[in-house]
Amino acid sequence: MQAIEYFEVECTEKLGGEYYRQIANDVLLDHNLLRVLHKIHIYIDPKVPIFVAVGVLKKVTTLVKVGDVANVNPLEGKITLAISDETWLAPMLKIFWDRFGKDHVDQPDRFTVVLYGVTASAHDIEEIAIADPSKALYKDLVYALRCISPEGFRVRSENYGTEKFSFVASEDTLTDAGMALVREKFALMGETP
Amino acid sequence: MILVPITYRGGVYRHSEIIDLIEDLGGYIVQKHMIAQEVVIQCFVPKDDVELIRAIGKPLAGEVTDSPLVGTEIAVVSMSLEIHHLPHPSCDIAEYVRRLGAKSNMVGMARGVGKRIAGLNDEERDVINEHDIAVYLLGNFETCIEKKMPLLLRGIEVPVVLCGGPDKDVLQRIVEPRVAGYVGNVGRFMHRTKESEELEKLDEIIAEITRVLEKRREELAKDPLSVSPARLMDVIREQVPAILDVTSPTPLTVQMSGLRVKLPYDTYADVLRKTEIEDGIKIGDIAEIEPSRMRDYIIVRVRPFSETNTVI
Repeated sequence: MQAIEYFEVECTEKLGGEYYRQIANDVLLDHNLLRVLHKIHIYIDPKVPIFVAVGVLKKVTTLVKVGDVANVNPLEGKITLAISDETWLAPMLKIFWDRFGKDHVDQPDRFTVVLYGVTASAHDIEEIAIADPSKALYKDLVYALRCISPEGFRVRSENYGTEKFSFVASEDTLTDAGMALVREKFALMGETP
Repeated sequence: MILVPITYRGGVYRHSEIIDLIEDLGGYIVQKHMIAQEVVIQCFVPKDDVELIRAIGKPLAGEVTDSPLVGTEIAVVSMSLEIHHLPHPSCDIAEYVRRLGAKSNMVGMARGVGKRIAGLNDEERDVINEHDIAVYLLGNFETCIEKKMPLLLRGIEVPVVLCGGPDKDVLQRIVEPRVAGYVGNVGRFMHRTKESEELEKLDEIIAEITRVLEKRREELAKDPLSVSPARLMDVIREQVPAILDVTSPTPLTVQMSGLRVKLPYDTYADVLRKTEIEDGIKIGDIAEIEPSRMRDYIIVRVRPFSETNTVI
C-alpha cells in the first residue's frame, strides 16, 4: 500500500478489523485504485451496525494519448504505429476510423496499425486523445466500496466529489450519527468533508 | 464385509483391470474420471483388499489413497451468491472437498446476509437437510455470527461445520445452538487461497468435516442400513437404463445413508420402488423414495435394519 499516503481500517472488533484491512487492500488492488487514492479511512462497528469509508482522491487529469501507447513512425507516405500497450487499442482504432475513414486504416497484425494517405503529421497523431481514465474511475470506486462493505449493509449514502468521497452503509435507517462519523473520520485524516 | 472409501489414481493404460478387480472383490465404483492420460476412480472396496488393489495397481503406476469423503454429499452454504462471498472462499472450499472425493453442492441463500435481516427459507432448509453435512461459511464479525446463527440453524437436522472469521474458541462460545464442528479464522476474504497458511486452513476444514462424518458413520454402524447406498447405486444403474442417458456428472449421487437419483420423480418414483434388489426384495421395501427439493430429482433414503429387519 505504498502508493496511499494514509490507509487506516478502524473496527470495534480487532480481528474483524484486520480481515477488513486485507479485504480493502485486495479489492483496491484488484480494481487498480491504488494509483488514484491519496487517503482512505474505513470505520466499521458491527454492533450498531455501520460502515463508513472516507477518502481523498489524487487528481487524475491525464488523458491517454496515442503517443502513450504507440510508437508513431512516418515512412514513405504512410504512418506505422507500433503498439506497446493494447489496452486502449479498440477506442484508438475507432477514433482513427471516424477521423480518417476505414480505407486509410489497416491493422496487419496485433501490434501494428498503419495509416495510409493521411495528411496529419506524426506529432499530430501522437497528440490524439483516445481515452479518459477518470471517467471509469468513479464507476470503479463505487463498485469497490460496495465490495468492501459488509454485504448485509444495504442502506447506503454515497458521496463522490472530484477530490473527496464518503460512503456510509448500514442495515438500518441511516441517522445523523453516520454523517457525524464522516466528519470525524475526515478530521482524523486532517481533512474536512 | 466392511467397505472403505478409497481413491485410485493411475494411468489410463490397463485401468479396466483395476475396475474388474474392484467389482470382483465386491466393491462399488462411485465415480470415474478420465483426465487426459490419468484415470481417477473413487470407490468403496472391502477393507481387507485395499492392499491387494494397491499391489496390483503398482505396476500400472497406480496409487491408492484413503478418501474418507468419497460417498458423501456436502452442502457448502454461502450467505449469498454475491461477489462478497463468491468465488472466494465458497468456491475454494467447495472445490477442495470435491478434490478429496466428496460431491459438493453450493447453496447460496436468498437472505443469508446481514445481522438483523438474515433468515433461512423452507426451500433452503430442505435442500440443506438433503445432504450428509452442511458447511456454513460466515463472515468476519462475531457480533453478526452470534446474532444470526440461531436463525440460520432453525430446522437444520444434518450436522453443521461452521467456518467464520473469529477464533475457534470464540465461535464455540458464541454460537447457540451448538453445532458439530468449528473452524476459526476462515471468514470472508477477497483473494484466492494459495498461500501455505491458507491451504492449511482448507486442510483444517477437511479434517473437521472428516471428524464429524466419522462420528456420523459410527452412529450409523450401531443400526446398520438395510442396504449399502453404493450397492443400491449399482442396482439402479443395471435395472433402470434411463439413468445412463442422464448427462449430469453424477446421475446417481451416493450419500452416507441414501442416494440422489437425477431422474424426474413423477415418472420414475414407482419404477424405482418396484426395482428388485435381491430375492424379491424391492427398493420400496427397504427405502423411502421421496421427491427432492433440488429440481425434480428423487431422494432415496435407506431405512435402517431396526425398521425393516432386513440386511442385503
